[in-house]
Amino acid sequence: MKRFFYFFVLFIFLSCTKDKVGYKATPYTLNIPSHFPAMIIPENNPMTVQGVELGRFLFYETMLSGDNTMSCASCHAPSNSFSDSNQFSVGIDGVYGNRQSMALINLGWDDFFFWDGRASTLEEQILGPVPNPIEMHQEWDVAVAKLNNDLEYRNRFFRAFGEEGIDSIKVSKAIAQFLRTLISSNSKYDVMYKYENGMTLSSSDQTIFQTIDSEEWAGYDLFKSLNGADCFHCHNGPLMRVKKYSNNGLDNVFTDSGRGAISGNSNDDGKFKVPTLRNIALTAPYMHDGRFSTLDEVIDHYSTGIHMSPTIDPLIEYASQGGVQLDNQEKYLLKKFLLTLSDETFINNPNFMNPH
Amino acid sequence: MRVSLFYFFLCLSFLFISCTKDKPQPLPIVSQNLKITIQPFFDTDTLFLDSVYQTQEGYSVKFTDINFFLTDIKNGDSILNQASLYNYRDNGILLFSSLGNPMNYSNLDLLVGVDSSINHNDPSAFPNESPLNISNAGTMHWGWNPGYIFISIEGKVDTVSNSPLVFDQSFSYHIGTDAYTENLNLTSLTWQLLNNNEYVLPLKIDLKSFLHNPNSSIDLANEFITHTSSGQEVLSNKVLHNFKESISPM
Repeated sequence: MKRFFYFFVLFIFLSCTKDKVGYKATPYTLNIPSHFPAMIIPENNPMTVQGVELGRFLFYETMLSGDNTMSCASCHAPSNSFSDSNQFSVGIDGVYGNRQSMALINLGWDDFFFWDGRASTLEEQILGPVPNPIEMHQEWDVAVAKLNNDLEYRNRFFRAFGEEGIDSIKVSKAIAQFLRTLISSNSKYDVMYKYENGMTLSSSDQTIFQTIDSEEWAGYDLFKSLNGADCFHCHNGPLMRVKKYSNNGLDNVFTDSGRGAISGNSNDDGKFKVPTLRNIALTAPYMHDGRFSTLDEVIDHYSTGIHMSPTIDPLIEYASQGGVQLDNQEKYLLKKFLLTLSDETFINNPNFMNPH
Repeated sequence: MRVSLFYFFLCLSFLFISCTKDKPQPLPIVSQNLKITIQPFFDTDTLFLDSVYQTQEGYSVKFTDINFFLTDIKNGDSILNQASLYNYRDNGILLFSSLGNPMNYSNLDLLVGVDSSINHNDPSAFPNESPLNISNAGTMHWGWNPGYIFISIEGKVDTVSNSPLVFDQSFSYHIGTDAYTENLNLTSLTWQLLNNNEYVLPLKIDLKSFLHNPNSSIDLANEFITHTSSGQEVLSNKVLHNFKESISPM
């Protein structure tokens, strides 16, 4: 009888070994605008509600920087359409970078990242700034250890990935999931684009449509005109950009060789990623080096300030004349159109704001 | 004895039944991987982007981009590929890769450009893998004149002789809009076996003959731009015609 009792106790004891707790995250449904192409989500980083939420926390997390003062949002502020209003961003050690922080808009449709395209995925891009000595300046293992010391983060990672443990790959995946939700598609331009392409306008589109004035339409015509501003070669479609690198005539001698430094091909010298023009009024200063403070300066550049060089984009048709030679009225109309690209709902979306 | 006889007839009937003629199996449909490649040349030289070549006029010329749409690729009713986008810089010489039987495609009809029935569709609505999807078409879709750029050939030329090499002139030929499609017929084609399950049809495009077509030569110094706009019809037609003429089997 006694032996049976001991056997019973042993059985109970053995049956009490810790079970692995499974957790399945909830799939996140992206709301893709009707006039946008489908977004390709990497198979190894499916979007989940918990992953997106974790990514939002991490995007605003200062623990990722060496002195706990800087987060991704420090150089990509929502009010600036997730860009930096400074010409060059300054890192935790007071060191300035040499390129302007790019606006984070509709990144889920991009195939290459940074001005020089040195990252080919969003996840890869995110791994860069944390250990960069002129940015957040913190080794990944230190950043991960800090997150690991935080119970709430441990739980959030578990819920997002269904397993225990934190590493830099999971951090980049979560932030990438959040960044893929940063979709801007509610500007006047969106309505103009849909109207022009014969797409059905919703009732809210109809309301916006009524507010588009003749000067904005005239500016759009000028934007597209081959003999006008001729902008559409590099900035068109719902994403307001094309996927390419371009030398847009900023210099005849390059102090920053841009794409050429990555590809090793001198034919790429002076070329940089063509950025979207969405929310352009909110993302000053402009160009890869932030040399232009205002839209007026940008328009003047394309009008009369083009510099010839061996790699200048052939699509800048009037380069040999210095630019497209707009008069003051044309510049005014073009700027009116550029302002239609602003999307206030994007920069005020509560789902994109700091959750801390 | 009767039992033995019984077994004998049983075996005999078994053999008889097992000797019934098998039904012939249908021949499997052979689907091979078929690739079409288009190698750019400048006369007899393999053409590389950003490399310098000499025109008949003595200009130094370099091509920076060669992109075009070939669609509705078929032989009679047998369609090989609905739409393909050639992008020499990004994809090299591969036009497309499809499944099919090479025996069915010894002749091919192709459309240079995109048929008007789909040219103005919402470019976001095509399947993700379609070259007509805006994500894949990229610079080959015009937002301002909704539709695709059928042919885009861009580059730079040094039009000043007796001087150091300076590419003083850019050229860009952008052909599109519904009136500017052309049918291209290729006959007596030979598919080459690459391996057990893959065939390739090598085509070529000669950019020298594109510029110097005997009946409609293009003068880079003076005919350097068209967007198929009003007033550019002569050059647009020349580009389309010369382009079509410059494609042939290797």
